[in-house]
Amino acid sequence: MAAASFHIELDQQGRPHVRLLGQWSLRSVENDFAALKTSLAPYFADPFASWDLQQVEQLDTAAAAVLWAGWGARLDDHRISLTDQQRAIFDMLANLDTSIRIRRQPDLIGPVANLGKLIVEFVSHLRDFTQLLGLLFLEILYVIRRPREFPLREFSANIYKSGVTALPISALLGFMIGVALSYLMSKQLRAFGADIFIVNILGLGIIRELGPMLMAVLIAGRSGSAMTAQIGVMRVTEEIDALTTMGISRILRVVLPKVLGLTLIAPLLVLWTSAWSLTGGALSANIELGISFRFFFEYLPTVVDPVNLTLSLIKGLLFGFVVTLIACHFGLRVKPNTESLSVSTTSSVVTAITAVILIDAQFAILTRGIGV
Amino acid sequence: MTMQLGQQDVICEARQVWTMFDDNVIHQSLNLQVRTGQIVALVGGSGSGKTTLLRHIVGLTTPTRGEIFLFGENLHQIERLKQKRLMNRMGMLFQQGALFSALSVYDNIAFPLRELKQFDEETICRLVMHKLALVELEPKHAMLLPAQLSGGMIKRVGLARALALEPELLVLDEPTAGLDPDRSKKFVDLIKQLKHTLGLTVLFVTHDLDTLVQMADRVAVLADRQIVADCTLDGLGMIDHPFVNNFFHDINSRLERAQ
Repeated sequence: MAAASFHIELDQQGRPHVRLLGQWSLRSVENDFAALKTSLAPYFADPFASWDLQQVEQLDTAAAAVLWAGWGARLDDHRISLTDQQRAIFDMLANLDTSIRIRRQPDLIGPVANLGKLIVEFVSHLRDFTQLLGLLFLEILYVIRRPREFPLREFSANIYKSGVTALPISALLGFMIGVALSYLMSKQLRAFGADIFIVNILGLGIIRELGPMLMAVLIAGRSGSAMTAQIGVMRVTEEIDALTTMGISRILRVVLPKVLGLTLIAPLLVLWTSAWSLTGGALSANIELGISFRFFFEYLPTVVDPVNLTLSLIKGLLFGFVVTLIACHFGLRVKPNTESLSVSTTSSVVTAITAVILIDAQFAILTRGIGV
Repeated sequence: MTMQLGQQDVICEARQVWTMFDDNVIHQSLNLQVRTGQIVALVGGSGSGKTTLLRHIVGLTTPTRGEIFLFGENLHQIERLKQKRLMNRMGMLFQQGALFSALSVYDNIAFPLRELKQFDEETICRLVMHKLALVELEPKHAMLLPAQLSGGMIKRVGLARALALEPELLVLDEPTAGLDPDRSKKFVDLIKQLKHTLGLTVLFVTHDLDTLVQMADRVAVLADRQIVADCTLDGLGMIDHPFVNNFFHDINSRLERAQ
């Protein structure tokens, strides 16, 4: 098995005669058709060159296609001598329909069209989301009328998966952020001799703002992405369709337990995260400013209005609900391919965190007169 | 049939292969040779390690002990570039097609051609359309995504992709699983015809006796952790082994019908 090669002879008039030798096929692993094409290029361009393929040991379609393209997609019978078998290969290549490749030329309306598509996409998201919200509401009404249909097992499984197993990580995160915040602020406060205000700042900041926010980011990254991926895979593997054929509503069985489970557990997670954050803050304040734990926690309720705690719990409920609903929404939109799954999971987390921050800003403006 | 069998004629070979998952022995000093130009079926009961052996042969896994030779080389002992080139001489069709779900049919078939970095897009297009025509799909199917294809079409596209680099050895894992009898007959005919026109050697695993009888020249029976028979279909009758006897009894009626 000799690799593909060629031999050039010049006739009396100086016209090249190209003789191809060896195995012109991909099976001969030494062949590099890109290099062969480059070295043959001057002869492809020469209208007087003649070609002889009679001595080629084996010609496959790949090599034939390279030669065919070199000859300008036509066979010139006077210049090219072939065996019958080779001619059949070229005839077959000539008859292929390659019109499919003519696509995507740079067009001017591209950017405008893309903007339009983006808007249409956004509207379709909005419509689907609203529809999901409506369906969820109807399912809740249905469950109220028939409490026996409530998916209790899925509900408690979700509480465990998104709530209980999130406890260690949210405690660690809250604690470390509490320590860092308190440490930085105590340095500033000490410069003004306003040590005692560390309790006010940490109390208000953590309970009203940081606790719910931290919790929301954490569950969006942890549970939200998992939910989108899970529902997405269930769509890819047609499990959702299987549920429907059993007469089981996918909203009732898949979406509702997730939404209710996380919405219920979110305020508790807010409490938990805030508590650890305050503990971290108190530790740092104790080390840096010498404020005792006892004093910190006794002084806290007198400077931070308890209504802040209520606000924080309401925020927790709201954030939990929004994150889960967005996760389910993106999960249900997954198309049955791997690309769509990864895009949806990413969008789910990004959208959830963005939505939570927007809602938080709105909430801060609406409740600006309460508790501060 | 005393043919001169040079080293060239053996396209792939398993030599003294042992496979163990923990303490569970799957293959015990197993030997198998596949010669150029044959269509060899690998059969055996469920869990007998057929697919595992196939995965060893194509280099996806390594046996616990023993060696696998593909085109006379041990895949795991040669350098990377050579390994890649050697792999290109073999095409594999997976049971579920294993098409890249984010790419269209066209891009799936063009993928190995583009990886080779030897062809321009115009040539690739011509080659892709040729492979589509080979597996009897129409040009209009080229822009579909794998999710839009039926089971039979997925197999055809998988086959077209496996054939993209004009391989010498075609390895098929359950080629007709999930196809209805009519389609599976057509698919078998297609493979036989391709084998003829492209000069392929085919190694396949199957559960389906009809596929086996229609397609195989030779059959290798995997039972008791070894190849207990490696012969033509008719030759199975001569072998005294409980699994083979049972098996031959099942295919005998089909053989008679085929004749």
